[in-house]
Amino acid sequence: MALRITISKLCDRLSMSKNAVHKSKRFFSTQALTNSDVRRKRVELFEQEQQRQTALVTRIEKIEVKYTGLPEECTLIMNKHLSTPYNCAMHMQELFMDRSALALVNGEPWDMHRPLEDDCELQFVHFEEEDPRTVNNAFWRSCSFVLGHVLETAFQDQYYVELCSFPPPNVSSGSFVYDADLKLGNWKPTEVELNCLSRIGLRLNFLDLKFQRLEIPLSVATQMFSDNRFKLAQLPHIASKSKSGTSVVVYRAGDHIDITSGPLIASTAQIGRYSVTAIHEIESQSFGKLSRVQGLALPTQIMLHSWTYDTILRSRSKKLNPAQLPDLKQAENQKSQIPAQ
Amino acid sequence: MLRFRYQPHPRKMAVYPNAGQGERLQRLREIVTGLFRYERLELNYNHADEARQYAERLILLALRNGDKHKETMELADYWLLEKDLVHKLFKVLVPRFQKFKGCFTDLHKLALEYPGTGAPTGLLELRGNPWPPVIPRQRDFKYTLSNMLLAAARQDFYQSRQEKISQTKSAASLKSTQEDETKSSSVDPVLPSSKSDSVSQTSQTESAPNR
Repeated sequence: MALRITISKLCDRLSMSKNAVHKSKRFFSTQALTNSDVRRKRVELFEQEQQRQTALVTRIEKIEVKYTGLPEECTLIMNKHLSTPYNCAMHMQELFMDRSALALVNGEPWDMHRPLEDDCELQFVHFEEEDPRTVNNAFWRSCSFVLGHVLETAFQDQYYVELCSFPPPNVSSGSFVYDADLKLGNWKPTEVELNCLSRIGLRLNFLDLKFQRLEIPLSVATQMFSDNRFKLAQLPHIASKSKSGTSVVVYRAGDHIDITSGPLIASTAQIGRYSVTAIHEIESQSFGKLSRVQGLALPTQIMLHSWTYDTILRSRSKKLNPAQLPDLKQAENQKSQIPAQ
Repeated sequence: MLRFRYQPHPRKMAVYPNAGQGERLQRLREIVTGLFRYERLELNYNHADEARQYAERLILLALRNGDKHKETMELADYWLLEKDLVHKLFKVLVPRFQKFKGCFTDLHKLALEYPGTGAPTGLLELRGNPWPPVIPRQRDFKYTLSNMLLAAARQDFYQSRQEKISQTKSAASLKSTQEDETKSSSVDPVLPSSKSDSVSQTSQTESAPNR
């Protein structure tokens, strides 16, 4: 007994001395990065940038928004650069607020929480439209976005998950994808573990987090994603594709922020079923070994029998998604090809 | 012989009590004439069903033979009581149905009127008529998210099954070619293969009870 105590004391002393060594060596913070810290930093930057941009609107101007569609056409006088399509829906019907996933501004898809910029014609679209393909793609993209949130929040702080990117939405492939570096070695998730991941995404339904869009300058974006080597590498290419050439579109839902061109759906309450179904190992040319995390989801508005969902759709979504692997060189090649054409 | 009891009886098509075959034909001609005039008729279902075939036949022959064919002209003259409709048949309907596939008329069942005679009523119409459609346009749910997912899953399933079938076929053909090879090799005494051995074994076991 005495021996044990001495051993434990010895161990304590050793560990203390180790810490002391660490402390003495540390000039700057060498503390390991954690996802929660990085996320907090991003949210702070996002809020700063948002405040800066709203401060730019000094004089409130009015715009005329013509709503066309059922039950009746109407004209609303809204605030320029402040009012969103969601605010317009608030003036009309609760149904529009709940089910509208996207707005069409002059026929172009527009996020529900993105401020309107000029006089326009407005329509609302939902998931049971006659041709809801734009909404479906926005939903699939949003689900990939949420998958990033799931991966960043699911693991303990000692595992620093680095998200890479997700391919353009393809509903027919049967699963949405997020490629990330999980840094978990040869971890093969069991069915229970996958269910735990799914439940994080599923819980967002009750939180009703809205997807906010913000166009930020490249400098802020590099600051925001400085802790993610994949995003940092992709940023110049993404910025060069934008209209001004130096801005990046980021979205925020709750405390998760990610780069995507959008559009995304209005809120996480519109994601009804959500399951993370498989994690595959992939090898990217420019980013090395990555994990391709796949999932399946359905909007709240769409009802489907559990048997169909579980046996047909979920089992199919486990297959490796054939979407393009994340690659810097390919993107740059495409960029260089465009002026040649 | 049929396996169930069925009493064949002629379709009743009473134009009026005690009417005969002549009146019946007259009634059919009236219906065909009316159909060509108005392009949509609401009438007794049996009458519509009976008249439909004659209207179809007349249009088909007019399409095939044109207006310079004596027999077709005679037929049109017989079925169309109002003679201006002969012009309509060749100048309006024949061009309209030139690129049609399938039949030229539609027959819909209508609801029973109550109180009424209790006779089933139908709606007979020429296709491509200017009236609003009888059946309202159905909404297409093809692009709903769940349906897109299921359609892709279905396609996947059939594709994999097709691949399986082709694999088993190719495997079977491989086997047969291998068997042919082993047969030819079994003739050669230097290279006895395992298959020829098993064949010889089975022949021994078969011949055993005879001994």
